[in-house]
Amino acid sequence: MNPTTGWLVAGVSLLNILACVWLIWATSRRKPNEVAEGAVKEDVWDGDLRELNNPLPRWWLNLFIITIVFAIGYMVVFPGFGHMAGVLDWSKRGEMESKLAQLTERREAKLNELAAFPVAEIASHPDARKVGQELFGSYCAGCHGANAEGARGYPNLTDDDWLYGGTPQAVVASITNGRGGVMTPFLSQLSNEQVSQLIALVADWPEGEPSGRQAEGMAVFRQRCAACHGMDGHGNQALGAPDLTDDTWLYGGDPDTIRETILFGRQGKMPSHKALLSEQEIKLLAGYVIGLGQ
Amino acid sequence: MNHEKVEKHIGLMAILIAVVISVGGIVEIVPLMISKSTTEAAPGVEPLEPLQVAGRDVYVREGCYNCHSQQVRYLAEEVLRYGPAAKPGESVYDHPFQWGSKRTGPDLSRVGGRYNDEWHELHLMDPRAVVPESNMPGYPWLARKQVTADDVRKMMGALRTVGVPYTDADFEAIPDAVAGKTQLDALVAYLQSLKASDQEVTQ
Repeated sequence: MNPTTGWLVAGVSLLNILACVWLIWATSRRKPNEVAEGAVKEDVWDGDLRELNNPLPRWWLNLFIITIVFAIGYMVVFPGFGHMAGVLDWSKRGEMESKLAQLTERREAKLNELAAFPVAEIASHPDARKVGQELFGSYCAGCHGANAEGARGYPNLTDDDWLYGGTPQAVVASITNGRGGVMTPFLSQLSNEQVSQLIALVADWPEGEPSGRQAEGMAVFRQRCAACHGMDGHGNQALGAPDLTDDTWLYGGDPDTIRETILFGRQGKMPSHKALLSEQEIKLLAGYVIGLGQ
Repeated sequence: MNHEKVEKHIGLMAILIAVVISVGGIVEIVPLMISKSTTEAAPGVEPLEPLQVAGRDVYVREGCYNCHSQQVRYLAEEVLRYGPAAKPGESVYDHPFQWGSKRTGPDLSRVGGRYNDEWHELHLMDPRAVVPESNMPGYPWLARKQVTADDVRKMMGALRTVGVPYTDADFEAIPDAVAGKTQLDALVAYLQSLKASDQEVTQ
C-alpha cells in the first residue's frame, strides 16, 4: 500500500469511528421538546401503535462502546490504520517467515547430523531412513509410487536391479542430475521378420547357446542392439541400457510391448533434483533408496 | 439529525445505509484496485505462451479449480510443502484467476518442473497408473482432441482485451506453436508453466 492510499484508508477508518462516537452522543442527549423518560411518545403508528421514550438498554450501549474501543486498540497494535505497521510490527508474512526459519534451522541441524553418516549406514539407520522416507513421499512417490515399486516406465526401486548402477555415487548422481534414457526407434531400420526374431530372443532370453529362431534373433541383436545392450545382453549401466536377460521389464515384457519398444523407441526421463533438494537431503534419499533394495 | 427523521423517510434511510456499507468497500477493496503490488506483474511473470493459453482453457473448462487451488497461503507448512507463498502480482495476467477455494488434490501453483511431461500425460490419462491411491478422474479424451490456432487466437484476443500485453508478433506465432498439438499436450504445457515468480525463495 502506498502512502496516499494508506492515508485514504486511515482517514475513512477514523471518520467511521468518529461517526459511531457521534451517533452514541447524538442519540443519548435529551432534546428540549422530548417527553419525559418512560412516558408515551406522541407519535401514533398504524392507527393505534405507540412507543415509550426509553433509553437504549445499558448492555447494548456498552457493547457499542466496547466495539469502538476495540477498533482503536486493534489499529494501534496491528497493521490496520492505513499503511501503519502497528506497534507490534506484526505481519502474516513475518510470522510465516520466522516460523519457517525456525523449522528450517531445526531441520537443517537434524539433516546435517544424519547426513554425516556414510550412505551405506544411512541405508540401515532408522532415523535417517525415516527422513529419507518422508523426502521420498514428497519428491519421488509421484513417479516411483508411495511403496517405491515403480510403474510402467518408472523403475521399481525395491529390487536390486539398477539401470544406472546401485552404488551410492550412481544413485546420488541420478537424483542430483537426473537421467535421460534413450532407446532408438528401429522402425525404418529393421524388417518385420528381423523384429519378430528379436522378440523371440528377448522375450525369453536363452540360458545357453540360442537355437532356431532365437539364434536368428541373436544374429540381429549382435549387429544392431549389442552396442548399447552388450554382446551378452546384460546391458550397460553407463548408458542406462537395461539388462535384457533378466525378468525385470521397465515397459513390459510381452511381445506386443517389446515390438512397440523396438519399433518406436523409448524416452525415459528422470528429472534433476538439484534445485529442489539440498546435498544432505539427496544423500539421505540415496541411502533410503539403496536400503529399499537390500 | 433526529433519528425519527431517518425512520420516517425510507429513501433517506436507504442512502445512509449505502453510505455506511460503502465504507467497508472503500477501505478493503479500493486499495487493491489502485495498489501497484496487486495491479502490476511481479518480476519474472510473463503472459502465457499460445499452447499454455490453450491448456489453461482446458484447465478452466474441466473444472480443475474445483479440486486444485493455485494459491500457497502464508503458512510455514504450506511454504515447506509447495514452495514460495503466493503474491498478488503473480495473478495479474490470470483472467479469471484460478486461486480456487478447495483442495481435494494438492495446490498446483508451483507444480511446474516437478514432474516430467510424460508423467503428466500418464497421470492425466489414468491417475491410478502412477499414483495408486489417487481419486482424481482420468481425462483420456484430451489426447484425442486437437488444439486449433483459431481457438487460441480468440482466447488470446480475449485476454488482450482485458489487459494482457500480447503483441501482434505473439499472435503470428500461434499457428506454429499449436500445430499438431492435442489438448493433453496443451494442458501439460500449462501445468509446466506454473512456477513461483521469484525463484530465489525456493524452499
